[in-house]
Amino acid sequence: MLKLIGRADASGLAGPVADDVWRVCLPENADSDGGGTDREGPAMSIACLLRDGQDAPPGYGLYLMAGHEAGNRLGMLGAARSTGSLVSSMPGPVLRLGPELAHLDAGDIIHVPDDGHRVAVLWKKSARHNALLLTEQCDNYCLMCSQPPKDRDDAWLFDRARKVISLLPQGARALGLTGGEPTLHADALIGLLEHCKRVAPWLSVHLLSNGRRFADPEFTRRYAAVGLADIMVGIPVYAPEPGLHDFIVQAAGAFEETVHGILNLASLGQAVEIRVVVQRHTVPVLPNLAAFIVRNLPFIAQVALMGLEMTGLARPNSPLVWADPADYQRELAEAVDILATAGIATRIYNHQLCVLDRRLWPYAVRSISDWKNDYLDICRTCSVRDACGGVFTTSGNRLSQHLRPIP
Amino acid sequence: MKLERAATALPRHGWQLLPLRFHRIDADSVVLTNLVGEHVFVTPDELSAVVDGTCTDQELLARLRAAHLIQVPGETLPAELLAIKLRTRMRRLPDSTGLHIFVVTLRCEHTCRYCQVSRQSAAKNEFDMTEQTARRALELAFRSPSPHLKIEFQGGEPLLNFPLVRWITAEANRMNEEHGKELAFVIATNLALLDEEILGFCAEEQIHISTSLDGPQDLHNGNRRRPGRDSWQQAVAGIRRVQERLGKDRVSALMTTTEASLDRAAEIIDTYAELGLRGVFLRPISPYGFALRGRGGANYDVDRWLEFYAAGLDQIVELNRQGVPMVEMYASIIAKKMLTNADPGYVDLTSPAGIGIGALVYNYDGDIYASDEGRMLAEMGDRTFRLGTVHDSSYADIMLSDALLNPLTESITLSAPMCATCAFEPYCGADPVFHHATMGDFTGHKALSAFCRRNMGVFTLLLRKMRDDRYFRDLLWRWAQ
Repeated sequence: MLKLIGRADASGLAGPVADDVWRVCLPENADSDGGGTDREGPAMSIACLLRDGQDAPPGYGLYLMAGHEAGNRLGMLGAARSTGSLVSSMPGPVLRLGPELAHLDAGDIIHVPDDGHRVAVLWKKSARHNALLLTEQCDNYCLMCSQPPKDRDDAWLFDRARKVISLLPQGARALGLTGGEPTLHADALIGLLEHCKRVAPWLSVHLLSNGRRFADPEFTRRYAAVGLADIMVGIPVYAPEPGLHDFIVQAAGAFEETVHGILNLASLGQAVEIRVVVQRHTVPVLPNLAAFIVRNLPFIAQVALMGLEMTGLARPNSPLVWADPADYQRELAEAVDILATAGIATRIYNHQLCVLDRRLWPYAVRSISDWKNDYLDICRTCSVRDACGGVFTTSGNRLSQHLRPIP
Repeated sequence: MKLERAATALPRHGWQLLPLRFHRIDADSVVLTNLVGEHVFVTPDELSAVVDGTCTDQELLARLRAAHLIQVPGETLPAELLAIKLRTRMRRLPDSTGLHIFVVTLRCEHTCRYCQVSRQSAAKNEFDMTEQTARRALELAFRSPSPHLKIEFQGGEPLLNFPLVRWITAEANRMNEEHGKELAFVIATNLALLDEEILGFCAEEQIHISTSLDGPQDLHNGNRRRPGRDSWQQAVAGIRRVQERLGKDRVSALMTTTEASLDRAAEIIDTYAELGLRGVFLRPISPYGFALRGRGGANYDVDRWLEFYAAGLDQIVELNRQGVPMVEMYASIIAKKMLTNADPGYVDLTSPAGIGIGALVYNYDGDIYASDEGRMLAEMGDRTFRLGTVHDSSYADIMLSDALLNPLTESITLSAPMCATCAFEPYCGADPVFHHATMGDFTGHKALSAFCRRNMGVFTLLLRKMRDDRYFRDLLWRWAQ
């Protein structure tokens, strides 16, 4: 597990940081960190990462100090003597990183707020999946939402995402765009996608959306008109009929809009993934939902059957949503059989192999992000640990009662 | 929570029925089907409550809503999705006539008991198709809008006129350079005349072989007589040769059911399995040609055939359970119609009927028939389904002829009495040739129709087995793909 937010010692800053989004490079290979000089974005938004007292080359807008030296000194904040001498010897503003950010590397992209006391990692070059949060607002209020909506102005998140995309390192392949509900800000989203097409047209983009906005044909037309070569929108459908779906997403009329949205996307040749969170209410309808998808939405690119992440609203709603994976293998297997037999690409996310019917292993994906997966003590002797995604650290103790090492 | 579960539940009388039809499949089970054949099993009491508006079973109401059998007033999505599914099912119709049957000769060295058409002791040129006739037939075939053309060589025994088979294949390929259609060839043969030259030709042109195999040796040879009483040996040897030379999937076999077959379903299936054939088509005997006259072994009733079908299906399922993959072709056609939005367009089980728009038959003499059965009726003196002749009919003459359009329009299941209200209408088809042959009109009286009784029996059997047996359900899902 990686920590994506870490402390920083800002005493090396003379004033506010010049920018809030920075791509990290190393002094010895400043040219090979992946920055494209022909791309939009301030050249100054490159931060030089110094490890264990490396010499600082001139010309960067920000210097990051990592390693033992920086870590030790972080414990002595206010030790103005040493800080002062250090800063005076540097060619620019300095931030010293806490040890939890020791994983920072060339090509990563960080966010530094004005005061410099915190550093958030927005992009991990080594990670298989990176996702950018575009808004925390949402018009659904799903019972098991892991990222509860907040009704406040957060337009800056789109601006930040735009900067990240400008700074993306070479080799960046897959970009996730998530929320909240990104389509609530139609103009900002379309603008961001157009930006993406301009500066990083090779990216494989995966947008998470509840799909309702796509019920508007004009919005869907604009979305398709952006013309990104490789974009897919992942849309949750939780039931084969409105009664249950609308209850789970806590929004009357949502099912009708979501399915209309999927149909509109399909009519314009846009790739759609259907995401099904497996929870107490969806378990009994999984086979019927699979049959509904096969019969009504057979054109979709894939179906992802997702295990619960017991965080956000899922925690207070635990009695309403929790289902132990060991108890729903029959329904899950039947749904997978129906989908896979019909030739629909089917994946199972967020499930530990030890609670998954062995027949379903070929469909299981190591899906839990690097920064929030972990293994338990009992996993140590497990023979399939490396193939398993582990558990959500964010789920706390709310895990299956049936986790056990596979001999 | 803003929205309580109860708020999204259906209130009493809070739903409308979408177009639905129902059929009792046993004492306490009724199957409901929607416009495109999606189905739900309920009890008779549940059906009454749903129709009366008194149902309080939210789980049942949700299932019916998901299957587009009921909707809430004001919602538009169910009708839109039903329309998309119906359009999908119908989309093959504009691409009409994919199958073109060339009867290259009526001569045959077999004297099968149930055969409708063949001639044995005939002068060579009397019952053979000529190149000139074949060329005109090809010109008509290429007029079909279908992007896929399948040319099937029939007889008689088409290998008795193999030079013409060669000629037609070459000529069709040449003509297709201009048309760019997906072209496929099938030879329907008893394989007795198979030789190296023919095998080499089939390999080169990627021709599919369709043969007849009625089951075990004694059964087959009893039905299919030829000098030397070795029809079965010839067929089996031929199947093996084709499998070795052309590949396992390049040969398929059809069986014809006679009275002697009825108690031997498992043996018939096993014969197919031993030969490595992956599909069996458990067919009823057709009421045409010599077979209709009662000396062809057709004198058993539909219910006995249904017992035979059920026994054969059981054996096929059992083989699958043992790891021997085998498909019952009729069930797989029906499964496609039950479980997907596709209509496989099987000529005997589609509506509008498959005559003419699904298949055209060019007889050796140039007469054009709307189906193979129509040709057989003509051999008995009834030329109702003769659409014209390649020598002086244009494509428009044939396709717009009363001989084609009348039976098509009079038999469409969505409007035919008893079919229109039948729960199995989406699975079934119109067979104006059968009903004309047996009842004297294209629509037929379905209460007395053996076609109806047989298909109702098969649908009911498949639905019961799907309801009761998870393994069978999964198997049928696989067959449907």
